[in-house]
Amino acid sequence: MPVSKKILLVDDNTLVLEMMGRALGKEGFECMKAASAGQAMELLKEERPDIILSDYHMPEVNGFEFRQNLIGTDFKDIPFMFLTSEVDRDVMLEGINLEAVDYILKDTPVQVIVSKIDNFLTTVREQHERTLKELSKAAMALNLHSVPQKLPVIGGFEIDFWHKPFQNYPGGDFIDFITVDERHTFIVLGDVMGKKWGAWYFSFGFLSYIRAAVRICISEGNFSTKNILQKINSVVYHDPVVNDVLSSLSLVLIDAKESTIKYSGAGDLPLFYYNSKDDATKEVRSSGMLLGLMPDGDFDEIEIKLSAGDQIFILTDGIIDADTDTGKKTDYNSFIAAVTPFLGKPFADFKAGDFLKWKAKEHIDDCSLIYLKRTTS
Amino acid sequence: MILQINDHQDALVATIQVKEANLTVSEKFKAELFTQIDGGSKYIVVNFEEVTYVDSSFLGALVSALKHAITNKAEIVVAGLNKDILGLFRLIRLDKAFKIFDTTEGALADKAK
Repeated sequence: MPVSKKILLVDDNTLVLEMMGRALGKEGFECMKAASAGQAMELLKEERPDIILSDYHMPEVNGFEFRQNLIGTDFKDIPFMFLTSEVDRDVMLEGINLEAVDYILKDTPVQVIVSKIDNFLTTVREQHERTLKELSKAAMALNLHSVPQKLPVIGGFEIDFWHKPFQNYPGGDFIDFITVDERHTFIVLGDVMGKKWGAWYFSFGFLSYIRAAVRICISEGNFSTKNILQKINSVVYHDPVVNDVLSSLSLVLIDAKESTIKYSGAGDLPLFYYNSKDDATKEVRSSGMLLGLMPDGDFDEIEIKLSAGDQIFILTDGIIDADTDTGKKTDYNSFIAAVTPFLGKPFADFKAGDFLKWKAKEHIDDCSLIYLKRTTS
Repeated sequence: MILQINDHQDALVATIQVKEANLTVSEKFKAELFTQIDGGSKYIVVNFEEVTYVDSSFLGALVSALKHAITNKAEIVVAGLNKDILGLFRLIRLDKAFKIFDTTEGALADKAK
C-alpha cells in the first residue's frame, strides 16, 4: 500500500505557503494550502489530509489556538506539526503539550522536513497495518465469521459460494447456510450497507440477529420464506438499536425432497436461474424492500421446481459493479454476460475464470456469489 | 459540502456535488441531509444529475435519511438519475420507497400540484 501523502499547509505568509507547497509537491505530496486557521477549517470540512503543517505566528487565530480548536473535533486525530520561526523554549513546549507530533523550525532544510514527515507517515501506516492485523487475528480467534467455514451437504444438490471482502477487510456481506434436517436447508445472503470495519461489526451483529430470527421462525415450524422475512422486517423496523442499519437479504429454502426452492428477497438483486432442459435463463425478481425500511416490506414468495442440471446464482451488488473507462458503474447485465458461457458447466470453471479474478482485483465493494445446482432429479 | 442547497417555494433541491457517491462521502451526505430535515424542510429533492456511480453505503445513507424524513413528516424524492443508477434503484426496489423524477423541475412541478 503506498503511503498517502496529503498535507494541509497553514501559513499567513503566502510566499512561504507557495515555496513550501512547491517543495513538498516535488517530493510527491499533495498540498492543500490555507492562509489562515479559518481557511484551514473550511478546507478540512471538504477533505481530510494525512497531516497538518501549521505556522505559529498568524494574525487573528495563531497556530496554537488553531490546534486547540481542532482538539475537541473530528480533526483532532490528524497528526499536527508546527512549522515556525519561534525559538522560545516555553512556546515550543506549549506546542508539544497540545499533542502536536513535532515542532519544526522554518530554517530547517526542506529535505529534512520532508524526511521527518515521510518517516512519520510511514510509522502511522505501519501502526495502522499492525492494528488491522491484530483485529483480524482477534476476530479469527473468536471464530467470528461473516461467511460459513464449510458447505452444507444436501442430497441431490451441489452448493458452493465465492466471497471477496472489500480490499480484504471483512465486509458488509454475510452468508449463512442453515440445515434444518435432511430435507430442508436455508440459504441466507445479506449485504449490510457500508464497507470495511464499521459495516463488518454491523454485519456480524446483524447476521447473528438474522440467524437467530430465521432459526426461531423455523423452530416454530415456519417454513415460509415470505413469512420469515415479514417477521424479521417487523422486528428490525421497530427495534431502535438496529433500525438505522439497512440491509438487503436473499432468503432461499431448499426442499431436497420436492426438489424445489422457495425464495423471498428484501431489496436484493434478482436470482439468476438457468433451466438446463430448455437451455434458457431467467432473472427471478422478488418484490420486497430493504429490511427495516418500511413497516410492511411488501414481500412475496417465489417457488421454483428444479430439474437435473438447473442452476441458481444468488449475488450481492459488488458482483455487478465494474470499473470502466468512463468511471465506475453498476450493471446486472455484465454479470449475466460473464456467467452465460459457463452455464451448464461446473462452478469451479467460473470461479477460476477471468470475471471473478477481475472482481477480486478491482475491489470496488464486497462481492458474494452463491451457486446452487440440482444434480439428480 | 457534498450537497449544494437551493431553496424553492415549499421545497428544497439538494444537488450531490460528487461524481462517485461512495463510502468516503456517505456519512457527510447523510449528516447534511439530516440537517435539512431537522431544519424543517418538508420536501427535499435529491438531485443526482452530477453522479455517475453510487455504492451501497451511499444508498444506505439516502435510505436512512428517508426514514428520518418520514419520522419528521417530510418527503424525500430523487431526480436526475442516470440510466445505470435508475436501473439499480429499480433492481433493489428503491423505486417503491422514493418517487423518482427525470429532472428537478419535474419534481418541483409535482410538489406544486
